Amino acid sequence: MKFSYSWLQEYIREKLPKPKKLAELLTMHSFEVGEVHPVKSSKAGAKQFNGVEKMGPARIATRSVAGGKDWLLDIDILPNRSDCFSHTGICRDIAAITNSRFQIPDSRFQIPDSRFQNSLKIEIKDKELCPRYTARVITNVKIASSPKWIQERLKICGLKPINNIVDILNYVMLEMGQPLHAFDLNKIESVSFKSQTPNPKQIPNSKFQIPNKPKTIIIRRARLGEKIITLDGEKHNLDEDILVIADLKNLLAIAGIKGGKKAEIDKKTKNIVIESANFDPVSIYKASRKLNLRTDASLRFEHKLDPNLTELAINRAVSLIQELAGGEAREIVDFYPKKVLPKKIKLDLNYIEKLLGVKISRKEIIKILKSLDFKTIQYLKSNIQYLIVEVPTFRLDISIPEDLIEEIGRIYGYENILACSPLVYLSPPKVNEKVIYRNKIKDILVDLGFSEIYNYSFLSQKDVEIYRLKEVLELENPISEKQKYLRPSLIPNLLKNSKENSKYFKETKIFEIGKIYSSSFSPPHQNFGSGGKEKEKLAGVIFQKGIKGERLFYEMKGIVDSLLNQLGIANIQYDDYFKNEGWENEIFHPQKTAQIRIDGDFIGWLGEISPFITKTLDFKEPIVVLEIDIEKLIKYAREEKIYLPPSKYPALIRDLAILVPRGTKVAEVLNEINSRGGPLIRDIDLFDTYEGENIPEGMKNLAFHFVYQSDDRTLTDKEVDEIQKKIVWELENELGWQIRK
Amino acid sequence: MSTQEIKKKYPKEILQAKDLKGLDLVWKKYLGRKGEINKILKNLKKLSGKERINLGKEVNQLKKEIAEKIEKKKRILEKKIFKVAVKKEQVDVTAPGKKFPQGYLHPLTQIIREVEEIFQSLGFLVAEGPEIETEYYNFDALNVPENHPARDLWDTFWLRGSQKIPNSKFKTRLLLRTHTTSVDIRYMEKNNPPLRIIVPGRIFRHEATDASHDIQFYQLDGLMVDKDISVANFKAIIEIFFQKFFKRPIKMRLRPSFFPFTEPSFEVDIDCLVCQGKGCSICSGTGWIEVIGAGMVHPAIFRAAGLNPKNWQGFAFGMGIDRLAMMKYKINDIRLFYGGDLRFLNQF
Ligand SMILES: [Zn+2]
Repeated sequence: MKFSYSWLQEYIREKLPKPKKLAELLTMHSFEVGEVHPVKSSKAGAKQFNGVEKMGPARIATRSVAGGKDWLLDIDILPNRSDCFSHTGICRDIAAITNSRFQIPDSRFQIPDSRFQNSLKIEIKDKELCPRYTARVITNVKIASSPKWIQERLKICGLKPINNIVDILNYVMLEMGQPLHAFDLNKIESVSFKSQTPNPKQIPNSKFQIPNKPKTIIIRRARLGEKIITLDGEKHNLDEDILVIADLKNLLAIAGIKGGKKAEIDKKTKNIVIESANFDPVSIYKASRKLNLRTDASLRFEHKLDPNLTELAINRAVSLIQELAGGEAREIVDFYPKKVLPKKIKLDLNYIEKLLGVKISRKEIIKILKSLDFKTIQYLKSNIQYLIVEVPTFRLDISIPEDLIEEIGRIYGYENILACSPLVYLSPPKVNEKVIYRNKIKDILVDLGFSEIYNYSFLSQKDVEIYRLKEVLELENPISEKQKYLRPSLIPNLLKNSKENSKYFKETKIFEIGKIYSSSFSPPHQNFGSGGKEKEKLAGVIFQKGIKGERLFYEMKGIVDSLLNQLGIANIQYDDYFKNEGWENEIFHPQKTAQIRIDGDFIGWLGEISPFITKTLDFKEPIVVLEIDIEKLIKYAREEKIYLPPSKYPALIRDLAILVPRGTKVAEVLNEINSRGGPLIRDIDLFDTYEGENIPEGMKNLAFHFVYQSDDRTLTDKEVDEIQKKIVWELENELGWQIRK
Repeated sequence: MSTQEIKKKYPKEILQAKDLKGLDLVWKKYLGRKGEINKILKNLKKLSGKERINLGKEVNQLKKEIAEKIEKKKRILEKKIFKVAVKKEQVDVTAPGKKFPQGYLHPLTQIIREVEEIFQSLGFLVAEGPEIETEYYNFDALNVPENHPARDLWDTFWLRGSQKIPNSKFKTRLLLRTHTTSVDIRYMEKNNPPLRIIVPGRIFRHEATDASHDIQFYQLDGLMVDKDISVANFKAIIEIFFQKFFKRPIKMRLRPSFFPFTEPSFEVDIDCLVCQGKGCSICSGTGWIEVIGAGMVHPAIFRAAGLNPKNWQGFAFGMGIDRLAMMKYKINDIRLFYGGDLRFLNQF
């Protein structure tokens, strides 16, 4: 929010610190100050500006504004400090910080003429939404431009000058924080002339412009379908959630947000009603968002204002109007059924030290509180020193002792609190196993040549269509079509990365560990939603230009083996793809995809992307991916490992090539061998698969290394050859496989 | 030849052998199957007992001597050959080494690990929680009421179709968490103080993106609760953290701020890494960089987690991990982290 330096000076008796210094002090004790820069007023403005002094309502410290120079301070008011959405509010803090004296603006004006009682009636239909409504009639004002000094100050603060009445009301808002509004009294329907708006032209003498029949202002909820044209000419459709100011026939304003065209102040306006009201913050907040209409008034009201401010502000406005636009003040109408009184808070002096970690003397504490307009009473109860602190009603942010401690802390200065290590027993932290295993998985993959990617959690409409994704969670308020859905798989974004990177790299090996989301995930237990709508996955993609065939599949399979082995997971099993209801059906090549299982439990997929997707994404070569559930991976990695001591005795190696029908699985062959070989076969290694030339049609050749080893003796060639011979015989005779010797 | 003759002749012949081939001829002449030594040994059986034994000893001794000398000469000759051969061979040490396929950890992973390690050394445990949160845990339990301007501090992505359940105590409308602070409540519901945790994780904000803003980023939340944890303690812990993280002494300042879940609340600035506090474009001339939002846990938060605020006090803080990474690696666009471009990622 923008503030004028010279204006701030007006409410501080002592000379303010220089603008940059003031900004620094505010930053350290109240609010962060962004921009600070000089602004130059026009010559005329400066002249008029100095002239104000003679008119008297606000004494201006000319020394700081000599030559019409001023400074703009952009202060970032914190949302709980509605009392500081004004120059006087900021000055209260400045006075406390700089140890100087704060003075409130002068609000003297001529005593109203009692002949015009009962010219205005207020009807509040919803007291909850309007805790206070203060209004005053002023007759015979002269509408003109406002003086230059007002215009200059409004401009510094980002407001556009309009005419003297509107400008004065805005000026008082910027000064005291209370939004004000003026209606043309003559444009408001009066009780007896319901259908006949008095025409000012027909009443020549302004002294008697006020009809004796009272005008009625009604504060009520709008009716569904009601419309209002606001001062800027915009038309708004209203409903019951929106509070309006109306007369018996028309809508005059959207309460607390913006005035209507109907009773607008214009060049011919003579008699006005000034409104200084207090509205319910939630109602204003909701209405302003519903109408998408944010104004200086709504900003202040939605942050909640002190109802006691309405009277102070209206008096200040009337006094300025009398000075600058003439006119006679009439009676005040004040609807204020529940007067807000100051709160009292009991503050334990020891708790201040305990929470801040610094000893501040009682004298200092009281001085700080007083400087912020808090009243204090000391008392002692069972040896504990307490302060009873009375909180001024404009400090709506203060309601518990901790709030007061913040006030003491910030004015005292956080820089005066010295760092001090906590005096608590430092127990060694428990470790989060999930974090450890996640890190381990990442390290293994990086060692295997993979680079880690962090993608967005979102997918586009197009992605959802390409992969025919189902049960996808959708955002209610997406930023763009590209980021409209929550990813139910890590793969689509990784494929995009692969494609992008293939422009620069011959080979890409990438992985990501992250959350996926789906409406099909149901919460494991009553945990108030969430937790159940997401799962953590590991996905990897390998792609290499010029590599065709199944080589990449086996490479990825080797990577999975290596990963699982390094995590200490045994009993890994790969099964054929199975058709299921999920997105996998669209993504994977059904003939080139495996389920990965540990101890029979499904943990993820490994396979080639379906040619259809590959083509859609414009890849020329096959691309192989894996997606594994992290929770399950960690679960199996955590299980105790079975320890096998290395044998002390030498191993004997035998090679064997077997000719089998093409459809035969390697796992099948291994099972057959293992069941025949007995315990001395330590390992069987497939080192070559071959089909084609020199191999009969429909057959493939598998070549294995057999590793024989015993834990308790050195094996002889003779006994190993006998086992090998037995295996060969059985494979040939029982299974009809052909052994190539 | 007699042993005497052999003894006389063979050293000369070894000396005269110019190459391995010549040396081999010497070996064959004396030690070969039909060599002089074997000839003598064959004739041994013709001799009588004592004579045979004496000559046998002498011949075997001689055989050993010859073998040793030939072996010695052989090594000398081989060395000569290698010397010549080595001169013909050479690698180009300036030619590039063979590319070994290497992977890289994402820079944010590296920063998170570093941050976790430092806080673990200070006794903090890493806690985690869901990215899809309920309105209750993300806002209400954190003292951020509905229709309050405080909510505007967090622009939120809401999930379609997750309607509010009327009359339920907990608001179950789903959103993408706007901070990991929600995990503080979840953790305190299940664990009694004293406690100290950090919560790193992905968070989301519904806002326009530019070089320093993105719709998703990583936050680290911290929470320390005990009987008398104070602002002074907070200052100490955070100062240690930054000194360890940036590996240099740092200047730090606390400014007043507002968060609904802390009271008092403050922002923490550290002196700008780039200009060392003199003021530059990175710190917009102030010499300070805002790094943490923090404060003393608001009593309402303890109550929401089922704890009695009279018994406990502590601090909570939140910092942007992406920002830390950007500062440490001097990265000027946050969006690079989520672009998947290996030309960027493979530099870390
Ligand atoms: Zn700097």
